[in-house]
Amino acid sequence: MKFFLYLLLALVVVPFQTTLLHYFSIFGVRPDLGLVAACLVGFLGGELDGLILGLLLGCFQDMLSAGDLWINVVTKGGGGFLAGLAGRHMAHITPAVLTAGLVIISCLSSAVFLYSMNPAGIDEIWMSLRSTVLVQAGFDALVGAGLYLLFRQRWSDDRMVTEGVL
Amino acid sequence: MAISRSTYGTRRLAIVLFACLLVALFLLPSQSQRLLQYVGGPLGQILSLPLAAFSSVDHGISETWNAYLALQSVHEENRQLHRDIELLKGQNNQLRESVAATQRYETLLNFKQQSPSQTLAAQVIGRDATNWYGGMILNKGESDGVRVEMGVVTPAGVVGRIVKTNSTSSVVLLVTDPNNAIAGVVQRTRDEGIVEGTSHGRARLKYIPLLSRVQAGDRVVTSGLTGIFPRGLAIGGLTQVEKSEGDLFQSAEIEPEVDLSKLDEVLIITAPYEDADSAQKLLQEIRGDRKKP
Repeated sequence: MKFFLYLLLALVVVPFQTTLLHYFSIFGVRPDLGLVAACLVGFLGGELDGLILGLLLGCFQDMLSAGDLWINVVTKGGGGFLAGLAGRHMAHITPAVLTAGLVIISCLSSAVFLYSMNPAGIDEIWMSLRSTVLVQAGFDALVGAGLYLLFRQRWSDDRMVTEGVL
Repeated sequence: MAISRSTYGTRRLAIVLFACLLVALFLLPSQSQRLLQYVGGPLGQILSLPLAAFSSVDHGISETWNAYLALQSVHEENRQLHRDIELLKGQNNQLRESVAATQRYETLLNFKQQSPSQTLAAQVIGRDATNWYGGMILNKGESDGVRVEMGVVTPAGVVGRIVKTNSTSSVVLLVTDPNNAIAGVVQRTRDEGIVEGTSHGRARLKYIPLLSRVQAGDRVVTSGLTGIFPRGLAIGGLTQVEKSEGDLFQSAEIEPEVDLSKLDEVLIITAPYEDADSAQKLLQEIRGDRKKP
């Protein structure tokens, strides 16, 4: 059941990312909704959920991107998994912690993309860092924290159910 | 703290499978890509439905936005006119939008008829799913005869080449992406080079002979030697020529002819030359050019 929910989520997030998200771009950079979704689910649902959703989102994103077919599968799957591992070892998830986590995971994901593109030199890496990596990391963290604040009540109830409180 | 409902065994199995996937991707890259391509076929069919729905919303928003902006300007110009005239102006504006669309289609059709290539019209329905590649998604796929490595153009010039396809859509790698390379020739001096994208969203003509007299303002067109594009399609104009001491070649920055941020319709070149005679004729022309001093 959960798998189909994640499939449905991926079928909404990826087309939204490719068709409508350019209206919300800053300096031509859009947030990576796939990564944000995988990380949020990973943080709050555990590493397996993050991994599964990340793999699904990555698979769909790879089909609608000009890059290699593996890169989004690995970055989104890995991002969801890492977020799950981080969430498992945290006593309390606050928006600030979530923001910091998303910045780190977004930067790691961007590093994989940068590596796969074989940048010509340090100048190109520096330029990518300024123009894409940092802007996207900030944007991802902002969107992630916003979504968390928006749905916090629902997620905190879920966590209590998981822990047997409710 | 976040406790997952999944059992430890399932989690371990998923992690092992992910690790296997990573190992396979690094050790057998081409085979794994083929496998992912195979898996992607049916997934592409599923994805095409929400993609089409979101794309129609996108077109609706942009049409409304364009109409709104145009109405603002009409309003500025006709502030003194009566209300019914304003209404008529609004209707007129909507008609103008339709005429503009018809004119765009007509230009495409004319270009298609004049071009020696077999082409297929397609609509841009989305942009690359990441920020890292200059890509666009088209609404034509394998079921329409689109294949990887086909060229994409507009009447203004070269747009890019198809790098991925599924049954209903395809992905174009734009000419401004650093991963793209097209054989180009400077129209005035006939010097050949390779056009590559840059990270600034422009393109660069590389490997221009050192003694070439190319200059800013020269136009670059396709050389027709790679087989994706026919000869003579506009790529862009040179804006700056760079010649460093000690280098074996010159390079020059190109301003692409096509405004890639405002593309609605494009043509996919399904066959660069319509028949064998055209190809033969072109080959003779190229040989003739080469013999000229």
